[in-house]
Amino acid sequence: MFKIAVGHSNDPDSMEAVDEVIQQCLDSLSGEIPQAGILFAAIDFEHALILNHINATFPDLELIGGTTDGEVSSVLGFQQDSLTLMLFCSDDIEIRAAVGRNVSQNPTAIAQQTVKTLKDTLKTDLRLCITTPESLTTSASSILEGLKLGLGTVPVLGGTTGDQTHIERTYQFFKTEVLSDSVPILLWGGNLLFSHGVASGWRPIGKQSIVTKVYKNIIYEIDDKPALEFYRYYFDDFAPDVAYPLAIFPPGEETFFLRGALSYDPEIGSLTVAADVPKRSFIQITDATQESIQAASKTAFNYAWETYPGTKPTAALFFSCAWRRFVLGTQTNQEYAAIANTLQHPIPSCGFYTYGEISPLRDKGPTFFHNTTFATLLLGNK
Amino acid sequence: MTPTDNAQTLQSLAKENRILKKKLERSEADRARAEETRRNKESSLKRVIVELQDSQAILKKKSNDLEQAFNNLTLMQNKLVEAEKMSALGSLVAGVAHEINTPVGTSITLVSMLSDETSMLVQSIAQGQLKRSAFNSYLEIVQESTGILLSNLNRAGELVQSFKQVAVDQLSLEQRTFGLKQYLEEVIVSLSPHLKKTSHSLTLSGDDTLTLESYPGALAQIATNLVTNSLSHAFEPDTHGQLNFDIARHNDRAVICYTDNGRGIAPENLGKIFDPFFTTARNRGGTGLGLHIVYNLVTQKLKGSIQVQSQPNQGVLFQIVFPISVH
Repeated sequence: MFKIAVGHSNDPDSMEAVDEVIQQCLDSLSGEIPQAGILFAAIDFEHALILNHINATFPDLELIGGTTDGEVSSVLGFQQDSLTLMLFCSDDIEIRAAVGRNVSQNPTAIAQQTVKTLKDTLKTDLRLCITTPESLTTSASSILEGLKLGLGTVPVLGGTTGDQTHIERTYQFFKTEVLSDSVPILLWGGNLLFSHGVASGWRPIGKQSIVTKVYKNIIYEIDDKPALEFYRYYFDDFAPDVAYPLAIFPPGEETFFLRGALSYDPEIGSLTVAADVPKRSFIQITDATQESIQAASKTAFNYAWETYPGTKPTAALFFSCAWRRFVLGTQTNQEYAAIANTLQHPIPSCGFYTYGEISPLRDKGPTFFHNTTFATLLLGNK
Repeated sequence: MTPTDNAQTLQSLAKENRILKKKLERSEADRARAEETRRNKESSLKRVIVELQDSQAILKKKSNDLEQAFNNLTLMQNKLVEAEKMSALGSLVAGVAHEINTPVGTSITLVSMLSDETSMLVQSIAQGQLKRSAFNSYLEIVQESTGILLSNLNRAGELVQSFKQVAVDQLSLEQRTFGLKQYLEEVIVSLSPHLKKTSHSLTLSGDDTLTLESYPGALAQIATNLVTNSLSHAFEPDTHGQLNFDIARHNDRAVICYTDNGRGIAPENLGKIFDPFFTTARNRGGTGLGLHIVYNLVTQKLKGSIQVQSQPNQGVLFQIVFPISVH
């Protein structure tokens, strides 16, 4: 048995919203007790109140989640300033939550230890990890590195938390706690079947330059000049625009990954991007159209659908980049709608717009940290 | 409506109101954000266009540089050709000096000997001591020496004549319009005395209609030298050789293919056959100038090119390509 419930409310009032979400879930559960859940909430809600209320209805729920840049579900489609909850009940799938705190102090070691501690308590074989880590206080790549060290070849999917583009403070949820600078994880074991897919839709344009000075996710110099000059060359005096992530070609690689600019230092001219950049990488600005972005979302979903190992998945989780939402604008709801329309019977789904996506590039491949991508995770037990 | 209904409607409206208010706030923020993104997009696109223009300018400059480099190379090539000509002239002069030195040197020795013998004869007559046997011996020496002298001086004369032909620029050749095939037929007729002494046959094939605005004198010399070259080198005695000129037109150029079915040219000699004084038949009177003259006439007078293909015992093919009109 693998039962899924999804609730979604766009009521800006925290109490009203959580009541509505819980009621929708209770209606779907028909008396089943959920063992775990994932909660995505807009930044303006009273998060502690919401978590306490959920805990009051579903005590001992293994819950993780975080704040977002937009929420999506099979209930209301794409929304902003909303609250969505997905709950899981199963008698043969084991789901456990844990959190690593103050992760910026040593992101790799803390993430690794968090996995290790929880992994040891599992009664079944570890199959999958879902995570919603901090995006602003530290390098998400380093967090992922730690998770991978703890998990071995077990894949990780998820997204880093957002704050509706304020780029000030994001929150992670663990059971009843509202945290910052943390890495909540949900480990899955037992009779779980899953598949995943990821795609972007951005393409590099303009001249190619070289990253000449970089420390982890802070680019100091491009072509031996302050990094900000490279950005300003294209965007005049405007602030670095996350809708134009940088294409990074690591030395010797012909394929690129994308890194969005989170913040910048006008004094020294450095750019802080969402994850690490290898030194001597070639770098280009990028561009995307609404069409190419929507096509990529479908590509990611279709890949997951085609590689699903069972007959039909029970639920879907989506991790889509906040920068996709900027470019899609009023068409953002089409990203989910296009996917839902391909299915004869849409499956319960839930997701959020993130500051960075975590997913393997292919089935059974190693996990990577991405920007501007759409990652799909399909879950089921048959 | 009951009070309960009213309360529910009010609750629903309040919710709608909250949602709409929040959506409006968000919409305002998103609009500002979208405007900024649009500004950035415009800015980046303008910049990319400027980059494209810069790239275009760079490409144009590179193209100009390449053209300049090409012109410089052409100039350099012309200079090299001139230098090569001077170098060729130097080796030609050295070759001429070497070739002429032998018959002239022999002649000087013989004349000097004749002079000594004559002085001795005159002295004998003055002293009244001339013996018939001595006089007869003198006459024999004179007869033999003059024979050798004549042969050596003829050889020197021939070399000088050939040398004049090598200096194509100084050769006065008339330019006119003529039918190539008809003209070559005349040349072949003029060569028939040479061919009559052999059992070889010389034929002519190809385009009857090809008319040239060129130098018939140069073509006559080229054809003659090619045929003479084959007759001197290609065939063993008592063989029946086949020599052929084939003419064709390729766009604005005439193509003459001359072939023989003789013994061919040894690979190690193939690269040297147009060099002045290169000959494999010096002992049989070869000067090593025949094909050199052909090469100079083709390249300088007809403004064309000549290529040779040959393998031992597979005959030889000379392909001459030159403009129909040398203007």
